[in-house]
Amino acid sequence: MDSGDSKTMRLRELPPLPQRGQRALPTLPSQDTSGQLPASKHKKKRVRKETNMVDDMDDPGMEMGGPASRRVSGIRQQLTLEPMSDAPPQRRKKKKKTATIDLEDDQADLVNGDAADQTNDGEEVVKKPRKKKKSNVIESQPLDELDLEEDDIATDALPPIPQHSLFSAPQGQSLPVRKVFVERNKHFHATERTDRRQTSDQRDNMTDFQHTQPLWTTRDVSVSVHTGFRVLGLYCHGFLAGFSAWNIVVVYMLAGQHLTTLSNLLEQYHSLAYPSQSLLYMLLAISTVATFDRVNLAKSTMALREFITLEPMALASFLYFSALVLCLSQQMTSDRINLYSSFNTTLWPPGLEHQLLHPWVTVNLVVALFVGLAWIFVVIHPETDYTEGYLMTMETEPPKPEDKLEMAA
Amino acid sequence: MLQTGNYSLVLLVQLTLLAYDLFVNSFSELLRGAPVIQLVLFIIQDIAILFNIIIILLMLFNTYVFQVGLVSRLLQKFRALLIFSALYLTLSICFHCWVVNLRWLQSNHFVWTDGLQALFVFQRTAAVLYYYLYKRTAEFMGDPRLYEDSQWLRDAFARAH
Repeated sequence: MDSGDSKTMRLRELPPLPQRGQRALPTLPSQDTSGQLPASKHKKKRVRKETNMVDDMDDPGMEMGGPASRRVSGIRQQLTLEPMSDAPPQRRKKKKKTATIDLEDDQADLVNGDAADQTNDGEEVVKKPRKKKKSNVIESQPLDELDLEEDDIATDALPPIPQHSLFSAPQGQSLPVRKVFVERNKHFHATERTDRRQTSDQRDNMTDFQHTQPLWTTRDVSVSVHTGFRVLGLYCHGFLAGFSAWNIVVVYMLAGQHLTTLSNLLEQYHSLAYPSQSLLYMLLAISTVATFDRVNLAKSTMALREFITLEPMALASFLYFSALVLCLSQQMTSDRINLYSSFNTTLWPPGLEHQLLHPWVTVNLVVALFVGLAWIFVVIHPETDYTEGYLMTMETEPPKPEDKLEMAA
Repeated sequence: MLQTGNYSLVLLVQLTLLAYDLFVNSFSELLRGAPVIQLVLFIIQDIAILFNIIIILLMLFNTYVFQVGLVSRLLQKFRALLIFSALYLTLSICFHCWVVNLRWLQSNHFVWTDGLQALFVFQRTAAVLYYYLYKRTAEFMGDPRLYEDSQWLRDAFARAH
């Protein structure tokens, strides 16, 4: 049965073929064909047999549809246009030879417009196989049976169309023209139109390309933001190194030699301790983020390899992060220094100043050293920036043409 | 396709929220003249973090990669940000609640304990990692390959299936 289905599928492709063959026949209004029924009956039966023979020779599988058609052979008296619908197997070979002639006929029809009645009738006949095709799909019946019924339906249903011949003609003519242009445009010398279409397509492609590749893309925005932040980071690196150096120098100057004048330090420095701590955190945060950007820390394997090979940027980021944690760990002491004037006796009991301040000074010194060292590492290779390298690779590679076709399919 | 103007605007909003976050983290200790000032600053900061997470999630949902169905690839690429954002938001809310609770009656006095100090260090350290990952992700969201069909996406799709 699969073979039978395949044959019916093949047969379904056939109906459009007789369209041009029918044009050569004397075109008759559908109602008139019933009047000529007795005269053409025998001839058409014979032609039908011949075509069945030809089809059987060509395609034995067509037998599958045969019994179904013969089952309704009782209504063959109404077969007025059946030979016309069965003509294609005979016409097929001729049509290859006369394809250009037919096409020229179509073009002539196009030129003549809806003036000739014959053309209109021919177009009515053209319409019928299309209805047949739809009903084939819907009802999924054998072709011959459908031919019978559809022809009958068409002859009964067509009468209104001659009344509207002026309107039906352009509708009918548009079909072959569209088909011709799609399949064989070169034979119709329609090169100008196709060329124009191609050029318009090229123009569309160009506009699409320009549309997809604007002058200022999101990638450029990302890169510019990243570059701006890198510049800000460079300023922060330098400012942080200078500020931490100034801070530790001030602390050691106020604390005196061997931290002997810590009360003087608390007295002078208590108003500066918290602002400097806050500023130090902000600068350390920006610097750490900037150096992490340069290392591309999110790529853990790459970052680890850089740490192991002691690359300057990896070391700088490590030093900045360590300095950040050390700085944060002194928040409590900084707040204690900040509140020196308000809670002098409770927060700073006499004798404990050295015990509380010595780690704080040491940590500040270490932070200053880390920050200075990291700044040196950064300024040795200021151009190293892996994140920017990744951002620069964010470009769209257009899919290959064959892939596009696959996607369309 | 993501429009450049829209992306610039969204990026500006994100970086503004990040800058506000950094400002509050840095200088909120100085702005404690009245407890209500810190309360308002902390509430806005937490809302800003939440907004930033929502924005980045919406941007992820807007990508062609997500709409195609390669969610796992997006999550694999940006999971660090999502984890650190959630962690930072949690730590921030905890720290803010603790500090405001301690300073509500008397704002300018010594409140630090070892636990608060440890939470402070963790919150501020997570903040720096959050800034880095968020800025990086926000910049990577401008990748045109995330928003349209491309060979890269086809390769990723072929690898996923």
